[in-house]
Amino acid sequence: MRRTLSQSILLYATIVGAAIVILFPIYWLVITALASTDELSSLPPTFWPEAPDWGVFAKVISERPILTWLWNSTLAAIGAVSLSMLVSVAAGYSLSRFKVRGGHSMGMFILTAKMLPATLMVIPLFALFRSFGLVGSLWSVILAQATFIIPFTTWMLKGYFDTIPRELEQAAMVDGCTPLSAMFKVVLPISTPGLAATGLYAFVLSWSEYAYARTFLISEQGNWTANLGIAGMRGEYTSAWNEISAASIFVALPIIIIYIFLERYLVGGLTAGAEK
Amino acid sequence: MKKMMKTCLSATASAVLLSALTVSAAQATTLSFVSWQADDDAQGGWWKRAISKFESEHPGVTIEFTKVERGAYADTMTTLFAGGKPPHIVHLASFEYQSFAENGWMENLDPWLEKDNIDMTGWAGQSSCRWNDETACIMLLYFGYMMAYNKEIFDNAGLEVPTTYAEFLEVARATTKDLNDDGIIDQYGTGHETRGGANQYVTEMLSYLLDAGARWTNQSGEVTIDTPEMIEGLSRWKTLLDENLTPRDMDSGSIRNLFSDGKMAMRLDGPWLYPIMINGKVADQLAIAPPPLHPPLGGSSNVLGMASEISNEEKALVWDFIKIIMSPEYQRAYATEGGNTPPSPVADVSGVEKDVPHFQLLVDTQMEAAEAKVDRIPVGLEIQYGEFAKMVQQEVQRMIIENLDPADVVKVMQKKAESIQASY
Amino acid sequence: MHKQRMFDLARPSRQHWLGYLLLAPAVILVAVIIIYPLIISVDLSFQNVKLVKMGDARKPFTLINYQRLFTSPDFWMACWVTLKLVVAVTVGSLVVGLSTALLVNNKFKGRTLARLIMALPWAVPEVIAVVIFAWIFDSSFGLMSWVFIKLGITTEMVAWVSTPGAAFWAVAMTMIWKGFPFVSIMTLAGLQSIPSDFYAAAKVDGANVYQRFRWITLPSLMPVLGVTIVLVLLWVFRDFSIIKVLTNGGPLKSTTTLSIMTYDQAFGFFRFGYASAVGVITLIICVIASLFMLGRGPKSGL
Repeated sequence: MRRTLSQSILLYATIVGAAIVILFPIYWLVITALASTDELSSLPPTFWPEAPDWGVFAKVISERPILTWLWNSTLAAIGAVSLSMLVSVAAGYSLSRFKVRGGHSMGMFILTAKMLPATLMVIPLFALFRSFGLVGSLWSVILAQATFIIPFTTWMLKGYFDTIPRELEQAAMVDGCTPLSAMFKVVLPISTPGLAATGLYAFVLSWSEYAYARTFLISEQGNWTANLGIAGMRGEYTSAWNEISAASIFVALPIIIIYIFLERYLVGGLTAGAEK
Repeated sequence: MKKMMKTCLSATASAVLLSALTVSAAQATTLSFVSWQADDDAQGGWWKRAISKFESEHPGVTIEFTKVERGAYADTMTTLFAGGKPPHIVHLASFEYQSFAENGWMENLDPWLEKDNIDMTGWAGQSSCRWNDETACIMLLYFGYMMAYNKEIFDNAGLEVPTTYAEFLEVARATTKDLNDDGIIDQYGTGHETRGGANQYVTEMLSYLLDAGARWTNQSGEVTIDTPEMIEGLSRWKTLLDENLTPRDMDSGSIRNLFSDGKMAMRLDGPWLYPIMINGKVADQLAIAPPPLHPPLGGSSNVLGMASEISNEEKALVWDFIKIIMSPEYQRAYATEGGNTPPSPVADVSGVEKDVPHFQLLVDTQMEAAEAKVDRIPVGLEIQYGEFAKMVQQEVQRMIIENLDPADVVKVMQKKAESIQASY
Repeated sequence: MHKQRMFDLARPSRQHWLGYLLLAPAVILVAVIIIYPLIISVDLSFQNVKLVKMGDARKPFTLINYQRLFTSPDFWMACWVTLKLVVAVTVGSLVVGLSTALLVNNKFKGRTLARLIMALPWAVPEVIAVVIFAWIFDSSFGLMSWVFIKLGITTEMVAWVSTPGAAFWAVAMTMIWKGFPFVSIMTLAGLQSIPSDFYAAAKVDGANVYQRFRWITLPSLMPVLGVTIVLVLLWVFRDFSIIKVLTNGGPLKSTTTLSIMTYDQAFGFFRFGYASAVGVITLIICVIASLFMLGRGPKSGL
């Protein structure tokens, strides 16, 4: 189908407009890294600093263990995301397809992990992990993060599986597949967009988690995650915002890379499968 | 898909193998020490030197010095204590230690002081460390306020450094300006934090209240808000905000940057402003004068103590560390390196002016504040301070937003303060 | 294929066992971690306790926290603020998320880039995103006010954080910016499972753009959207770091949600019993809201 010229112009104008609004805070983050505090507190605003200080990136990377932070965040994210995805694919599939007695209540129970304010969770969890000897290790963060990622991933996947026509598995089962092999051979392959989107979000949730890491990793500076590191860069009386912004840009990069990597799975999964 | 699952599994496995996921078993002795100052240029360096001195005197013992930023400090410390793993060396703000002491989480230091025959007489602000008739901590800093101002702004407008509130207000009005005629103020007469934290908000207003003769409570702890002095004090604060003589809703860090970038004429602040000033964009235009408001704001800042839950051997070690901090040598360094007034009465502070030119001024205002028994934390509301400050902030904000008469506001605040006091 | 007879889960009588088996790991893992904090919180809410310490003897049972709570105007105010914020942010994220997803689902040059841009707010760590927004909404030098003045919407700088209504919208806008990519990505994934022949058939029947959206896109997305809404809702309910940095709940409690109230009572005023009561009520509200939104499973029974 071809668009008329005016339709195309409208489409691009909308996209550019939306992109400007969405990107503006990110652009401002970059400006904050490069400009002086003086330029930031002036009106009319400085849209590009007079003398951008590119050295700030080299400075933060040489003065702060950013690579260690990123590595720790990556380990925590891999752990939390794999754990959550493994159990959630199963649970989401069960919730969507089997509808066993009490299953819905169990699904709701999983969701309660997202309901109790974190303020109340943190002290009992700290005591719990302490008795397991996990405080200070990344395992504590992985487990704590998994509890609030699992509700997300389980329900997201359930929602996604619900959109996939049941006829596909029924046909496979007629051909002799067991429900389990139908899940692996039919449903999961055509669910790649859903799996990719959910996995991506799980990664983002883990990557941006701060409150648990703050308390559980406090004594082990070598295990600090990226968000902890950035938060720890704040000073008592003033903060070097240009350095914090520069560090944040480093922290944002892995998510962008993961996104670019997963983007092709986000689209075209089912269209390919359904048209077979 | 199977391949994807496999990758997934192997990724988990390798994550497990690769990471240093196990906590190192306690080797020798490690004392934990959490502070929000660990990363500061001046203050952090001072702590680190004390730590290495301690470690060289105690082979096999290490102090693990960790930073937790101020914004997350109370939550983190509470969690550590409540979860049964408090830091050995306890560093707290002087407005928050009381709850910890009240719960018996902080070691009584009296027997330790007695054992070593240490006399705390004359130690500035140490009386604020007494809780339930015990010494819960050692006062690290009792400060007096100063006034920093921008000479250039003053000279351009032909103004004199103010010495009274009336003059201060006049200067603030004359220096609050829209420099480029776009209808937006670019340069402020003074600056106060009015965003976020209630503790900071109340501290920022306090100078004006004190100068008007107002106090939150008297020395026996009775609430004294419903007074003509408090009405005058609140009116002054209201004037500053109503006339936009201070930027609105800015956090204190940005306010300090604004001053050191040359966009503010005067700033009332503690000794910590100095290191920020001299690194500012217009450092050579900035000067320090005695605060025009009397008595000057002053008060206890932060305290050092030890956790009561740790073993006796660990306590002895922590006590050794505290003694290093209290030693005349480190008390002097507190002045030369941090630009602070050391609380110790025996610290040799001669020649500090070489590093900190306005040192005598700090000593004078600290004395003046101490003589007037000024503190940020009102007597009788120590343990309720968080709730009290929040209430004050809210009622004062209401006064400004709804343009209420301070005479009515003090009545409301008096009642609410009394009920907060009674609820404990 | 036919070799797994030993434990043939395909047999209808065994199918429900498979259902439980697949659910079990998630339920057990969540239970191990959540049950203890849950019990502690409920227990604390029935004690008059200030600063808490795990393992201390429990204080006598009391209802005083709940009595105080239900008679406190602050609590009802927090409920109202939470409700407003939940509605504003959920609707906002949904509208922005859905429309951006539909937009980038079109085929056009630079689509991959457009999709990346749409997901970028995710990449900015919340710790710093909030600070950036705090600057944009600064009352003295903030860009937002400047833009408003230039557009003629206001004549002077808006004191975002010290004007109750403005503070609420500053928070809501920040949360929408941070929250809409989730809706976008999930919608985008959901859109992929709509077979393109549906649209082709509708076109043949002469359905216009709106009709196709209303009768094909929306119904097909419903399972995903329903869950997405609940998850956004729970996020708004529970988030406190954005509000804490932007407005700290003020001014005049106009942005004090239940979550901020819990935090203030616990770590600000050290009233853990009271904070737990607020938290437990929050939990109950969330359970009711989710039950209402997600419905009950067709065959589920308690």
